[in-house]
Amino acid sequence: MAKLPIDDALYVKPPASPLVEATLGLVQELVRDRLRESGGEWAEFTMAGADDLLTRDDFAAIEARLLASGHRFDWSASISVSERPDAYKAAAGDAGEDVGFSHPDAPTGEVQADGKALRGVGDNVVQHAQDLRGTARYIRSNERVLAYLTDGVPPGTIAVIDDSGGTLTAPIIEQFAGVICAGGTVRSHLGILTREYNIPCLMNAKIAGIRDGDTVVIEASAPAKTTEDYQDGIERVGRVWLLAGEGA
Amino acid sequence: MNDRDLALHGAAIKRHAPAKAIGELVGLSEERAIELLSEAVATNRVIEAKGAYALTPLAGVALQSRYSLYFQHLRDDADFRAAYDGFERINRTLKQIITDWQTLDVGGQKVANDHRDKDYDAKIIDRLGALHEQVEPILAGLTKGLPRLKIYGDKLLAALEAAEDGDVEWVSDIRRDSYHTVWFELHEELLRIMGTERDE
Repeated sequence: MAKLPIDDALYVKPPASPLVEATLGLVQELVRDRLRESGGEWAEFTMAGADDLLTRDDFAAIEARLLASGHRFDWSASISVSERPDAYKAAAGDAGEDVGFSHPDAPTGEVQADGKALRGVGDNVVQHAQDLRGTARYIRSNERVLAYLTDGVPPGTIAVIDDSGGTLTAPIIEQFAGVICAGGTVRSHLGILTREYNIPCLMNAKIAGIRDGDTVVIEASAPAKTTEDYQDGIERVGRVWLLAGEGA
Repeated sequence: MNDRDLALHGAAIKRHAPAKAIGELVGLSEERAIELLSEAVATNRVIEAKGAYALTPLAGVALQSRYSLYFQHLRDDADFRAAYDGFERINRTLKQIITDWQTLDVGGQKVANDHRDKDYDAKIIDRLGALHEQVEPILAGLTKGLPRLKIYGDKLLAALEAAEDGDVEWVSDIRRDSYHTVWFELHEELLRIMGTERDE
């Protein structure tokens, strides 16, 4: 198996900084892959143009993987965050959570007599006796998950997420009043988890115009989407409404 | 895998669990798991909340970067890969069984199964038993490649037997090592070993 000389070194402590450890690990992983692909020994591998081995694109891909984990870099000059808001910590507080999902096919409507305005639809995981009213909170940053893990999720939270495997939110799912998930199907792992906790949940949701902190209602009383519905391509949805005048 | 990575790997699979459960999954004593996880908390690799440990995102990336070092030989092993492919095929059936377990058809509508219809439940536990028979040779193939994986087979069988004995919480309860809990953790373990992503 392809190994770097350092892979067999004993007593090498991990770097003090988690960011350095992750970056170094990704670089070593890449070199290990290239060594394996070369099929040769370390000495001949490094002699045969090791200087050109790692390219600018490789490092861009490594940075992309760090960011995909939800990590955001610290910055010392505010131009960093204004030029690349996707790569650096937000300038103040939790501002990144305010921008909601906006699905191009989300059905939306005007405010009705009952104060409700349609803001989208999703596949209902299981039919409940009543609809659910709560506060929409986007769960997309690690900071927010870690804060909820430590301090608890605010009561009445309807989590709006796009991770159907529940990877990020698994430790706190049971504290949600409801879930709106932008991906997956009712058979996804997240669907199974929310059914198990008896938490109303819409999967495969197409929503637009819901901001963090808005009061929303999800149509948990809608018929659940079934396996046959997916096979036969039948549209069967639960709706999501914004309650007018009660936004954040 | 060294002990530090074993502890981090266990925390990654369990997601948010006490040291004892993390240690048990990867074959470390509770004392050793506490020692390693406390050090990981002190160096910002892991956070502890309410007596349970969760990996920080960057520690997760660093751990992921070392998987090819630990698992490349399994990724290249045709027998192990065949067992893994078998698991993925059966996984689709398992998800359908659990979904059927949780929902009941009442007048054409799917509602939450309140588990009062014992015949309905018994039929699904039978299906789970049949699925387990299919998965046993697969588990044997996986354990042959990586002996540490034996614990998943043991826990799946224990959960199935408890459910068959009438304690239906062992099918899918999240707060215990139910059949679905252990299955999901095994799936997570295998995705990490093979270096692939979950479908949905």
